Amino acid sequence: MNDNRLVFTWRAMLLAFLLPLVLVWAFDFTLGGSIGAGVDSLPRFGNAILTSYILGSLILLGNLFFYADSRQRPLAPLFGMFAAAAIGVLVTVMLLNQGDLLMEDNGSIRAQILYNVVHMFVSGGAILLSLALGLGFTFATITAQKARRTVFEEE
Amino acid sequence: MEPMTQAALWFWLPAALVPFGAWISLSSKTTSTTTFGRAVALLGIVGIVSSPWTVPDSPSSAAGHLLGFLLGPAALLLAGIYLVAFSGNVPVGRLPKSDRRLGVMSFIIGFVWFVGMHWWNLTPALNGEVNRYWLVFWPTFLLLLTCLLSGSALSLRMIGDRRATESNVMWFASAFVFLLIALAMTIDGRAVDAETFRYHLWLAGADLLGTAVGLSIAILVFGFIIFLHERALPEPDSIEPPTEEEFEQVSAIVAANIGGGGEDE
Repeated sequence: MNDNRLVFTWRAMLLAFLLPLVLVWAFDFTLGGSIGAGVDSLPRFGNAILTSYILGSLILLGNLFFYADSRQRPLAPLFGMFAAAAIGVLVTVMLLNQGDLLMEDNGSIRAQILYNVVHMFVSGGAILLSLALGLGFTFATITAQKARRTVFEEE
Repeated sequence: MEPMTQAALWFWLPAALVPFGAWISLSSKTTSTTTFGRAVALLGIVGIVSSPWTVPDSPSSAAGHLLGFLLGPAALLLAGIYLVAFSGNVPVGRLPKSDRRLGVMSFIIGFVWFVGMHWWNLTPALNGEVNRYWLVFWPTFLLLLTCLLSGSALSLRMIGDRRATESNVMWFASAFVFLLIALAMTIDGRAVDAETFRYHLWLAGADLLGTAVGLSIAILVFGFIIFLHERALPEPDSIEPPTEEEFEQVSAIVAANIGGGGEDE
């Protein structure tokens, strides 16, 4: 597969992935649009970025222990990743202190942080289940077809 | 005991046990440690699911309540897909054909159960109100599933060889999930009306996008840190080339181990 064809394939696959999102969006607009959610989506988007960044950094920090096994246990990358996660926590606390910028229906900053983590567990569970079903369904569809015979041409 | 301490002990500690147990299980090299890790993770899940009883006043326990509601249909869906996939044309580990019917039935029951949780009276409700996390889970699950199936359909067609039939099945599945979303956007359920679903669908979209961006940044930072560390490492010391004596030893070993199978093989 040449480079141009590969780029086209990736673009087409990305578009196919995004197509249902665009259709849902268009359908919602034909129904009048959920205007209120548009405003509330911004804090949710911000909280999702920060929470997934922090939790993702912590998971990758754990992953660095395995990396360290093959590198005589260096401390520098562990410290670097820990600092990166800590910066995420600091930015979250700082932004949550800026009034209503990232606050949702929670009374305090601590409640909002705990809500963000639990929310990420729930949406992460939804993501994992849909990934498992998406991959499993694809695999099941492939294995449901009759076995193919590959015919090799004689040289 | 203070409410915060109770929540830490009965919800957050079990929640921490799940990844901790998974980590032990995945990183262990012995069977006993793997089993121990799995047991710790299972203990954590049991702790989370029982949190509505152990810490009923904590808002976080709603997640444990939801997990208890989801375990049944999710297990049926996953078991169904597994049975259907491995009772088909797989070269190794093929299950009997009868498992296929069981798998299809399990999958359908799991899916109908989920649909019943939206439109019928199976909706997870806590203290008389719909569990707030159900309104996070359900739109996120449906939205991502339809996107994944659509992406998978085109991937099969463009990357796969003679996979048009499979691709069409995936398009159909994606369209079916999209139809469910469209129905939920227009038809009220018993506990969740269409407008509430549409509101949370937007939030689910923002959530998915934010999660993708946040994780991407974390992975980029991780790669950057590894790159900086590897670049700072000194060049490895050069070693002397092998001597004639070492070459002869290697040749002897190679000569003793080539030439195909012996008579006893």
